[in-house]
Amino acid sequence: MSNFTRRNVLKTGAGLAATGALASKGLIRPAFAQDMSFTPEDGASLRVLRWSKFVQGDEDLFLQNVAKFTEMTGVQVQVDNESWEDVRPKAAVAANVGSGPDIIFGWYDDPHQYPDKLVDLTDLCDYLGGKYGGWFDAAQTYGMRDGRWIGMPWGASGNCLVYRKSWAEEAGFSEWPSDTEGLLEVMRAMSANGHPPGFALGNAVGDGNTWTHWALWSHGGKMVDENNTVVLNSPETIAALNYVKQMYETFIPGTISWLDPNNNRAFLSGQISLTANGISVFYAAKNSDDPAIREMADDIYHANMPIGPVGTHSELHLFTQAMVFNYTQYPNACKEFLRFIMEWDQYQPWQAAAEGYICHPLQAYDENPIWTADVRNTPYRDCIRNMLYNGYSGSLGYASAAAMADYIVVNMFAEAASGAKSPEDAAADAHRRAERYYRI
Amino acid sequence: MTDAVSSDKAVHDEGGMAYLTSLPRKVVTIYIPLAIFIFVLLFPFYWMTVVAIKPDGELIEQGANPFWVDNPTLDHIRHLLFETSYPHWLWNTMLVATVSTFLSLFCAVLAAYAIERLRYTGSRYVGMGIFLAYLVPPSILFIPLSIMVQAYGVRDTPLALILTYPTFLIPFSTWLLMGYFRSIPYELEECALIDGASRLQILTKITLPLAVPGLISAGIFAFTLSWNEFIYALTFIDASENKTVPVAIVTELVTGDIYAWGSLMAGALLGSLPVAILYSFFVDHYVSSMTGAVKE
Repeated sequence: MSNFTRRNVLKTGAGLAATGALASKGLIRPAFAQDMSFTPEDGASLRVLRWSKFVQGDEDLFLQNVAKFTEMTGVQVQVDNESWEDVRPKAAVAANVGSGPDIIFGWYDDPHQYPDKLVDLTDLCDYLGGKYGGWFDAAQTYGMRDGRWIGMPWGASGNCLVYRKSWAEEAGFSEWPSDTEGLLEVMRAMSANGHPPGFALGNAVGDGNTWTHWALWSHGGKMVDENNTVVLNSPETIAALNYVKQMYETFIPGTISWLDPNNNRAFLSGQISLTANGISVFYAAKNSDDPAIREMADDIYHANMPIGPVGTHSELHLFTQAMVFNYTQYPNACKEFLRFIMEWDQYQPWQAAAEGYICHPLQAYDENPIWTADVRNTPYRDCIRNMLYNGYSGSLGYASAAAMADYIVVNMFAEAASGAKSPEDAAADAHRRAERYYRI
Repeated sequence: MTDAVSSDKAVHDEGGMAYLTSLPRKVVTIYIPLAIFIFVLLFPFYWMTVVAIKPDGELIEQGANPFWVDNPTLDHIRHLLFETSYPHWLWNTMLVATVSTFLSLFCAVLAAYAIERLRYTGSRYVGMGIFLAYLVPPSILFIPLSIMVQAYGVRDTPLALILTYPTFLIPFSTWLLMGYFRSIPYELEECALIDGASRLQILTKITLPLAVPGLISAGIFAFTLSWNEFIYALTFIDASENKTVPVAIVTELVTGDIYAWGSLMAGALLGSLPVAILYSFFVDHYVSSMTGAVKE
């Protein structure tokens, strides 16, 4: 179905010009082997739906790349934006109705909800993986089903520990701990000094799901095993619940009701010393109109979620991937567009303009200078490398999506931490709720 | 004791609202409940206003008075009006709400009149069926409606919303108008029938003029429901320039987990003004439709 041709060197003039500009700024373009392209269908035009910008630079560079693509290929691309939480229902409608945008940038396991409605992207993803050092494991899990690629991983908005360095030092921690016990100690010490931490325990789509899944997995708990049998009610899960209960004792009051924006606001107002969040807190502080908040940015540092008893990284991040729907009239144009935006010449400046918001799914992009330009960016570089996937360690599909949409893990931790239920009861109830989805 | 009873009786015998004349009673029975009611109704508007004119620093400042603004700014409103497509979204919302309201009222008048006055077999069940249709949540209907919107080729146009909003506006308006038509004395129509008027003439010259308060009431409800609708507007519209206010401000003013609270509240406040203005023009009719219709 796809047409493979050698990339016409002349056609890449605009891309090379951009690279030249990059080089003139002292940024070196790594050498990558093999090039390929898909020949867009005659008269092709595309509609692309993506989540609305996290930072202005993201949108600006994305649209620049789109314009460059149109200039090179003649394919017109209309880009529509939707609030990041609203993309999923639109994608579901498009899949079910058989009409809508040609490409949708969705979240997490979206492609696994309607795999038969999607264009096979194996040729594209094999090419990109081969050229850019391979896909990280989690990216491969999210993008592949039954041995073929049904989504093209685009990146993840990483979730790391965001803390006030001076307050950690004041509490006696000049080095940030890298294990769960150390984290608990620093939290207790900062809280005792009047600088409590605060993590979202409400139904926060991003912040709530990501850190609670880390807490569960880092202690060896998981929702299902490899056969999709629910195994949530386990000693490991109860250990995780007890751990979070101890964390909660150090929290500022009110975190049970926190949604995604609450911890940002609390951190920037100086109410909390530590939270789990994207790089948005740092970004907002750096770019604030308020000099006091800009000053705070110098004191904001980041760290990856610590390693727990399980002994390896076990994080979850807001993962996004592109889906090409099989109702599109222009599958080759879609693939060429996706290939184009994932190439170093486009992806690297886009990722840099997003200022660390977007972690890459391809290993070669570790070399992007944005990750070392500021030491505070570096932890976000490794997010996809360190992540598992929602529904770990079962398969992705209806149940994994529904269980997360129902906040089973988040609410289990919230109930146990707040004392509404004992850890044993919270685990048992969550287990029952999960079984309802995994029975289907 | 007897005197006290007589005195109470005398007060009641004076009839009407005389028992409210003493100031303490007025305070307890009227002013305090009224003040609570006004506070509950107006507080959201006050909150939206305060946040809309608060600078970012004050919005996140620890210990700042959340109910007051020290250094008011129009930056959020300026950003909303001049750096986003808000005026265009407002126009889209107005267009969709107005047209779908008139379309729905037209259909609802015919349906309600037929059910209430023609008295054919099963008319009660039809009325009940229409009401039950209103109870079907949009979250169930939006996928089948999407298929129809696509089939008609109106996806991503205002027509997609203008044609789908009546699916919940017509049942609601019909149910409301059925109740109102029921309160109009049937004898008036019988007189007109004796004088040789047709059904259509009775509807347009007798019933509708008497039902104006009910029409206004249904119209305000329909307009407000259209104005605030979210899920269809989210599903059927893709392009930013075709979006309505409720969807567009979330798309444009929420960036990841950073909410532009000032502009969001300015958008919500400005977006609620047209409905408030519309309501203020027709409040008398609206109240009369709520408190009873034409008396026999």
